[in-house]
Amino acid sequence: MRLRKLTLRHFRNVVFAGLEFSGRQQFLAGANGQGKTNLLEAAGFLTALRSFRTAESKLLVGHGQSAAAVSFELEHERLGEAHVLIKLRRDGRELWCDSARVTRLADHLGKFPTVVFSSQDMLLVRGSPAGRRRWLDLTLAAMDAGYLAVLQTFSRALAERNALLKRGGADERQLAAFEQTLAPAAAELIARRAAGLLALSATLKSAYGQISGETEKAGLTYEPNFAEPSSDALLARLEVGRARDAQFRTTLIGPHRDDFQFAVRGTAAKDFASEGQQRSLVLALRIAQAAWFQAKSGVRPVLLADDVLGELDPERRRRFWGTIDAEAQVIATGTSPPDGALGPWQVFEVADGMFTEKPVGP
Amino acid sequence: MTPAFDKLQKHLKQLPGLGYRSSERIALHLLVEKPARLPALVEALEEAARSVRRCARCGSLAEGELCGICADERRDHAVVCVVEQVPDLVAIERSTAYRGMYHVLHGKLSPMHGVGPDDLNLASLFERMAASGVEEIILALSNDVEGEATCHYLTERLAAMGHTVKISRIGFGLPSGGGVLYADSVTLKSALDGRRAYS
Repeated sequence: MRLRKLTLRHFRNVVFAGLEFSGRQQFLAGANGQGKTNLLEAAGFLTALRSFRTAESKLLVGHGQSAAAVSFELEHERLGEAHVLIKLRRDGRELWCDSARVTRLADHLGKFPTVVFSSQDMLLVRGSPAGRRRWLDLTLAAMDAGYLAVLQTFSRALAERNALLKRGGADERQLAAFEQTLAPAAAELIARRAAGLLALSATLKSAYGQISGETEKAGLTYEPNFAEPSSDALLARLEVGRARDAQFRTTLIGPHRDDFQFAVRGTAAKDFASEGQQRSLVLALRIAQAAWFQAKSGVRPVLLADDVLGELDPERRRRFWGTIDAEAQVIATGTSPPDGALGPWQVFEVADGMFTEKPVGP
Repeated sequence: MTPAFDKLQKHLKQLPGLGYRSSERIALHLLVEKPARLPALVEALEEAARSVRRCARCGSLAEGELCGICADERRDHAVVCVVEQVPDLVAIERSTAYRGMYHVLHGKLSPMHGVGPDDLNLASLFERMAASGVEEIILALSNDVEGEATCHYLTERLAAMGHTVKISRIGFGLPSGGGVLYADSVTLKSALDGRRAYS
């Protein structure tokens, strides 16, 4: 997939921007706080109508405006030339694909893969399990409407069961009624997460080797809160746990408490890996995500690199560029001009939400 | 505008589906544009409020003790189709595919929205079962978490009471006359899960 034209209106600090892309590599250059990342955020919104920075879409609408819009013109492996329009309001959003309204997110997922490389990715290694779960759910759901459906069923059943527990004095039969939907959805979620992480881990391992130049093994290990992907086993466990759950007024067991860890040489990366190793790990994770998207959708993802390259030493940076898909479109941001050795870049200068294409210099 | 007008508009706005603009439009229509229609509307409201109530057996709308369907001796009284709301019953009736009885729960279990078993029209269903004569229950509740939980709850309660009635769940899948191509992915999954032997 190649992004050929991107138009933003009232998106964060960008009042209006229309960028026409030619070639494979685009670079957005400018000082901090000018709107570079906002543009990448808008581009990344295409995949699953989610921002990589915030869960609240109302933050995306420009100050004092009632709605924002992002429009995409794309060259697509399966659809040919495609046009996608996303309208964002403070209370909701609308999606149009080739002038037809798309009302179910499930029908949109899996078509337009993008992967964001962000400097905040380090939080995936060091941060809370909730952040890792959010990343995993987004990655797996973005290409698989089946995963999204299971996740939604699970979350809804969990919220209903927790509402019962919160009120106190919950009747066993009502708890059982919601457990009947909760358990099969949870079991499927566990199985799908295990399979997804296994595939992601395999690509991460080879990408990490290439970026770091190290031979030691890296990987992802799934840490399910309830390890057995069996509906009956979980049903039995939930039933046994009712009294304790009632005491804590919430469901204590299940995939809503899952986690996964990054490992280098078999030890937990968040405790033992160096800064540089952790940086290589998250880059390898994003490369694994891109490979997963491509395998699932048959569409080559657009890579959105948000100021991550500046933090790498030249050697690692060179190896990173050697690792990514040589055919994939890359839209990168940074404060200093891009590496000329990486081939021709189309450069846009960013200042105060305005984007100006810089003519190719002599 | 005027105190009485504002009061009317405020009451209209509380009705489901009406916002500020539409309630204002209705109030203007009734008071200014077509005031001649007002007495008939007031009378209809009063009459309906006086005579329409829930059917003592199934919970649907009735003007006597029983609704038209429960009072109809030609219908099959051995089969009861359980639905969430009166409009669900109306939709099934419109299909003319069903000649049995109904039972309207007036909701589904949802602790998040504060709806428990006591808020549903369950007691009269259990009374109907105890009075016997019912051989099959068709659960025509919605295909979501709350609908499924309500089906499960109902089934468990009936089993605990020792009823051995046949219980079925309506199928979920492709709309008639609709191609596979145009079905959304969740419906397709449901249709595949619910496939049956073809002979």
